[in-house]
Parts: sequence; C-alpha cells; structure tokens
Amino acid sequence: MGWVYFIILLAVLFTVWHFAAIAIDRDIVLPNFAATMRQFFRNWTDARVMNGLFITLSRVVRGFGIAVAIGLPLGILMGSAKIVRDALSPFMNSIRQVPIMAWIPLALVWFGMGDGPSLFIIAISTVFPILLNTISAVMGVDPNHINAAKSMGASLPKIILTVILPSALPNFLIGARLGLGLAWMMVMCAEFVATNEGFGFLILNSQQGFQFPTLYSLVIMSGVVGYGMDLIMRLIERLLTSWRFKNAAENK
Amino acid sequence: MPLKINNVSKTFRDKKIGDNVVIRGFSTEINEGEFVTLLGPSGCGKTTLLTMVGGFQSVDSGSIALDDKEIEGPSVERGYVFQNYALFPWMTVGRNITYSLRMQGMPKDQQEARLKELLEMAHLTGHEGKFPIQLSGGMQQRVAVLRALASRPRILLLDEPLGAVDFQMREILQNELASLVEKAGTTVMMVTHDVSEAVFLSDRVLVMQSGGGKLMDDVKIDLPRPRDRSSDQFKTYTNGLTDLLRKAFKYDKER
Ligand SMILES: Nc1ncnc2c1ncn2[C@@H]1O[C@H](COP(=O)(O)OP(=O)(O)OP(=O)(O)O)[C@@H](O)[C@H]1O
Ligand SMILES: [Mg+2]
Repeated sequence: MGWVYFIILLAVLFTVWHFAAIAIDRDIVLPNFAATMRQFFRNWTDARVMNGLFITLSRVVRGFGIAVAIGLPLGILMGSAKIVRDALSPFMNSIRQVPIMAWIPLALVWFGMGDGPSLFIIAISTVFPILLNTISAVMGVDPNHINAAKSMGASLPKIILTVILPSALPNFLIGARLGLGLAWMMVMCAEFVATNEGFGFLILNSQQGFQFPTLYSLVIMSGVVGYGMDLIMRLIERLLTSWRFKNAAENK
Repeated sequence: MPLKINNVSKTFRDKKIGDNVVIRGFSTEINEGEFVTLLGPSGCGKTTLLTMVGGFQSVDSGSIALDDKEIEGPSVERGYVFQNYALFPWMTVGRNITYSLRMQGMPKDQQEARLKELLEMAHLTGHEGKFPIQLSGGMQQRVAVLRALASRPRILLLDEPLGAVDFQMREILQNELASLVEKAGTTVMMVTHDVSEAVFLSDRVLVMQSGGGKLMDDVKIDLPRPRDRSSDQFKTYTNGLTDLLRKAFKYDKER
C-alpha cells in the first residue's frame, strides 16, 4: 500500500513544481518542470551524460573495492585482537573526524588531476563505516560459536572463514551500504575540482553554462542512481545472508 | 578408563569483587559407556567444570585426562553441546551436522553417508536443507547433539541440553536423548539442575555443592532402562536427590 502513497506524493510534488516554476518564471531559481523532465529522460540516451556516469560509477566501484580490501581484513584483525584494537583505535578515531572535503586539497597534491583524488575520496569515506561495523560485528561473534568450531577440529583460518566472516557479514554489509551511499555523495565533490570528466564534472559544467534544466535533471539523476545502488546493495544483502530471512518468508 | 578428573580447582579472580572460588578439589572418574550427570544449584560451577573438560578453559590446579592424555584444549574427541546449542545459523542443518567431518577433510560421499545415518538416528531425515531458525527448539537440540556426535567423539559433553524447553516437551526430549545416546553408544557427561532428568538419563549422578563447587555425593542410579518415571524406585531416587540438593543449597547459605 505504501507505494500508492508514494506515487500520490510524487504527483503532488511535480504539480507544485510545475505551477511554482510558471509563477516564479526564473530558470535559475526553479526551471520549467516539463523541460527538466524532458532533459532527465534524454540524459539516459545522451552519450556524454552516460559516459560521465560510467566513469564515475567505475571510480566508485574501484574506490569501494579498495575500501573493502582495507576495511574488512583490518576490521577482522581489530575486532578479534584487543592489542591491535587499542593500538590503532586512536588513529582510526582521529582520522575519521577529518571532514571529507578537507581531504580534497591534500588528495590533489598527492595524486594530481585525474582518477586519483576521486578514488581516494571514495575510499576514505567508505572505509570507516566498513571498518567500524566490521569491528563491532567481529567483537559480537558468539564465543560459543568459536568454541563449537574449535571442538569440531577447525583451524584458525577455517574459524575465520566459516564462523567469523559469516557471522560478521550482516553488519559488514550494513557498513558497506552506508559507505557506498557516502562514496556516491563524496565522489561528486572530488569531481568538481579534481578532474575534467565524470558525473560531478558534468553537473559543474551545466551550472557554469547556465543550463538549469540540465543541472536539475542531473541532480535528480544522481539521486536515482544512488537509490539504485542502494537497492542493489540490499539485494546483495538478501542474497548473501538469505538464512536471516527464512523465518520471515515462511510466516508470510 | 576414559575420563579422569583429578583434584581440579578453578578460581575466577577479580580485583573489584575479589576472588571467586568456583571449583575446589573436584575429583571423579567416568567409565567407558557411562552416562554421568552433574547436578547442583544454579551457579555452583557445573558449566565451568564442563567447559574445562571441553578444553575451552584451563584448570588452575589438578588435571583432567581423557584416555590418560591430559586435556590441553578443545578436540574432536570431546563433542560439546552448548547450553544454547550454538548452532551456526548461516548453515543448513545438514552443513551444521557435517561441519566436523568437513574440518577433518572426510571425502564427500562418506560425509553424505554419515549424515544420512545420523539424520535417521534422530528422525530428522528431510530436514537437512532447512536453516536452524526454521526448526523448533526440540529439533534444534537434536541437531546440536548430532553435530557433536558426527565425528564419533570418545565422550559427549552436554550442558543443560533441555534447559530452554518447557515441561511437557522436556520429557519427550529426554526419551529421545536417551535413545539417541544409546544408539550412539558414547560416554556422556551432562549438566542439569533438574532432578528427574538426572535420574531418568544417568548411570551416576554427581551432586555438587554451591559456593566452592565441591563434589558432595556420588549416587549410582540402579534402574533398568527404559526408565519408568512413575515407578516407586524412580521416586525414591528423585526424593533422595532432592534432599541432597536442598542440603547442597543450605551449605551455601551457612557459609
Ligand atoms: N568467565 C567467567 N569469569 C568470571 N566468573 C565466572 C566466569 N564464568 C563463570 N563465572 C562464575 O562462576 C560461578 C559458576 O558459574 P557456572 O556458569 O559454572 O555455574 P552453573 O552451575 O553452570 O550455573 P547454571 O546452572 O546457572 O548454569 C558463578 O558465580 C559465575 O559468576
Ligand atoms: Mg551452566
């Protein structure tokens, strides 16, 4: 039933927009609704837009991969060994307080123009939600699950693989989802200054060219794409941890 | 002589609340094929003693040996069923049961054969594809026992395997547990604070004192199996053990 109200709300929003834009009659404040929508749908077949989107998405995927490759093993290590946790926590807790935007000038110095700064910004904004959630997930592993595995002859690598990873997986995926959302937002910022291609660059470009329907349509599009990525993450979550949903499915 | 517990002591040290002597000079021997139950008031150290036999905690002094080999850590020789079962919720029933076989590197076809045999033993055939969350408490308990039995341990350690089950279900599951253990033919060390459960299942009942976890009495249950809960001898045993438990508890108060 919820989706019916969603459609109604959307229709109300669009109607208000349509008449407000006519009343205001200034593109820079609120562009014409029909023109923006036309542009929005045209975007999906526009080679330049799709190319920019593809470049940004590929950056997100690579940056996200780097964050997982660092955050997951480090999270497992910090979650399972108190010494490592105590030694690294102060670093983690101070570095993650640095505003993401403050990294951009530094990333430019380190990596120069191009992919580098964007990848760095994606990785640094994604790694902390992944790291924090993995640590708390590993700390929350039922000690009797580990004892049970030991009493059935599991070696340490097997325990990590068959007990710690699967029991930490749900929380890790929550962290990954949060991180991906952040990454999608932050990559735009990086692309405003550190590159001359990608979705963020297109947004900046349309603003500088006073193409307001295009600007609005791109902003809406970035929301839709972010929503789609979140949906995919939720799907992956359901696939990888299907055992959690078994009972609910049966009771339906 | 499979299990020898010799003069074992265990103290939990805590700077704030002081030392807590949980087990003090506990000794007993468990013979091949015997079903021995640890009975005692809550908090008297039953789980602590069982986890030391399981190898999850070390003894402070004394020794525990299985087949004259001192216990140094967990091992497949000692199958353990936890108070809350500790089944792996992300694995199917079948994969839970065959876990130890996989860890041992048993070939697939042998795993399959053993799984089939175990499922039949516990009347769980057809449930191997389900997840633990989809099973009733009683079925989860049987899966936990099967998982501990899969690698044919020398001894099965059960920590209140029926603790979370309601009264009527308890008796049914006690019957099932008795037949399961009989079919498997293993030596068992079980923890409970239910007197009737102890009499129904055990060859010997060890009564533990609370506060300092000493062995207070060692009662042999000399009744034919399957046991009849309504028989007079059964009641004599339960009454006798109930009195002992009361004393075990009083001792705690007087200290
Ligand atoms: N890891 C631990 N650290 C400190 N104290 C502990 C620890 N484990 C158990 N204890 C203490 O040891 C005592 C005995 O606990 P134990 O769990 O062995 O009792 P139990 O006989 O199994 O009780 P129950 O019947 O309630 O399960 C308790 O006072 C408990 O607080
Ligand atoms: Mg206990």
